[in-house]
Amino acid sequence: MNAGGVNLKENNKWVSVSVSSEFSDGSMKVVSVGDQRILLIQVQGKIYGIENTCIHMNCPMHRGLLEGYTIKCPCHDWEFDIRTGEHLMADELKIPVFECKIDENDVLIKMEG
Amino acid sequence: MSERSIEARKKQLMKMFQRVIDPLGYKFNPDNELVDFIMEQEVKLEREAGAPFCPCQALPERREDRMKLVCPCIPYHRKHFDAMKACWCQLYVHKDITDTSQLEQIPITELE
Amino acid sequence: MAKIVMYTLSTCPWCKKAKTFFEENDITFESIDYDLEDKESQKEIITKMKELGGTTATPFVIIDDIVIVGYRPKEYAKALNLGDGSE
Repeated sequence: MNAGGVNLKENNKWVSVSVSSEFSDGSMKVVSVGDQRILLIQVQGKIYGIENTCIHMNCPMHRGLLEGYTIKCPCHDWEFDIRTGEHLMADELKIPVFECKIDENDVLIKMEG
Repeated sequence: MSERSIEARKKQLMKMFQRVIDPLGYKFNPDNELVDFIMEQEVKLEREAGAPFCPCQALPERREDRMKLVCPCIPYHRKHFDAMKACWCQLYVHKDITDTSQLEQIPITELE
Repeated sequence: MAKIVMYTLSTCPWCKKAKTFFEENDITFESIDYDLEDKESQKEIITKMKELGGTTATPFVIIDDIVIVGYRPKEYAKALNLGDGSE
């Protein structure tokens, strides 16, 4: 299966989407899994995955500004914690997050279902 | 901007905003005429000022301040709006509100 | 007679209601639509609103030295000694 140029190696629910050598702290990369666009972000050696769409007005988050664990939407400055997906001012508002791990050199995302 | 494109954008914005206000405990004001008027202003503000800003708050110059007035601005005025059971322009009201005539605009300074 | 100045927005339905309140009570007022002013005047207005009322929410009504923020007919009536303010 190939989505958005990314080779998907399905392993139960874990899907391989990238290689860890492409990441360093602060780097961001958008990958496609099926019809979902997921933004991978590395902070302090760990990779986090959030949906690449702001829940406010659907803006692409990868153009946003990353500061620590906070990503700021480029359109209207809504800020989210990349670990939980929660809006900093209202935790009921969440961008879906995806668990990520590195297996050997592969970056894997846990997909539902 | 044609009537049709205003109507189409209004619908798009309302669909997106519904997704935001619902988990916050708010709904669109049951006064459809008011909602219609405010949404039309927001569509025009989006075209002219770059974002669907609150039509009832003067826009400051600084981006940081302006962005706190983009609809739905509830996250940035939570305590104030929760106390009024509505947002400032009353586009959104608490889910339990049925009689909107009871709502009143009360400035934050009177609630502090 | 009280001096009434109102900062309003051309986009704000509550500002229109506030203006109607004063018109219906035959009270002369000056209203300034903030969004239709030039940048320089906007700066002055916003500074004044923050100074007097601590907010930039509209309608922002100044009756002599009393500041009333929001569409609040009862408060307007009280400030003008008009009775209970019911419409």
